Amino acid sequence: MLRPVARRAPRRSNVGEGAAPAPRSVKASLRLSIPSQTSFLGVVREITKKMAESAGFSAGTADRLALAVDEAVTNVIEHAYHGAADREVELRIEDRGDEFRVEVVDSGASVDPRAVPRVDLPRYVSERRTGGLGVHLMEKIMDSVTFRRSARRNVCCLVKRKDSPPAR
Amino acid sequence: METRDVEGVTLLYPRGFINAHTVRQFEGEIQKALAQGHFKIVVSCSGLAYIASAGLGALMGAIEEIRGNGGDLRLANLNETVRNIFEILGFNHLYRIYPSEVEAITSFRSAGAAGC
Repeated sequence: MLRPVARRAPRRSNVGEGAAPAPRSVKASLRLSIPSQTSFLGVVREITKKMAESAGFSAGTADRLALAVDEAVTNVIEHAYHGAADREVELRIEDRGDEFRVEVVDSGASVDPRAVPRVDLPRYVSERRTGGLGVHLMEKIMDSVTFRRSARRNVCCLVKRKDSPPAR
Repeated sequence: METRDVEGVTLLYPRGFINAHTVRQFEGEIQKALAQGHFKIVVSCSGLAYIASAGLGALMGAIEEIRGNGGDLRLANLNETVRNIFEILGFNHLYRIYPSEVEAITSFRSAGAAGC
């Protein structure tokens, strides 16, 4: 037989006369999977922007964060999956209070981010290169961009602290 | 994508966003202008919400051929987001950017007119 469980009264703070208990902070997080198709980049962008705005970032910064995630997902589609449209890209978007974190996870080929050349704009123009800007843009927008291989999956982790400037 | 010619200048009007999904069309319009011998190009961005690196790569991939033929690719009407992306990457030093389409078009009349 089930017995009713007594509910515990919320613990009152001793600080200040009649102070209300501090509400337990629950931050938003979201996990979603999309097919490895560039037609879903618009969805990725909209969701990231909304999550960033709800985490407290300005519309302008939220736009830039959405762009960084667009770039990360594009990299996965083009480099880890080599353009295959039938794979899965997982996104984990999380407001961690002091920072906003997005992980982009794929099960494609291992990509060595150290192989990405540093961007030298005049050289890019003279060599008519059109790639490699994505990682550079991500690094300019985010506070940290890290890549790791975990359980045969690639994880690109993008972090933006809430107290940092919009871009570096 | 809407395009038109004014005073010998080809105007391109990208709409929405240019990223890996939409960049082929944007590249195609630039290449179409070049194939027709049009090397004075203004990308008017009033309808452009944002541009990802794929779009910036398309601009970079064409600029040498355009300038090599005595022309230029200039930009106008950038919203704050797009302007900011240009500045983050230093593209504002590679391309002339004008507040309005008219200023971008007329800049081709006087060689060396400065953008902003």
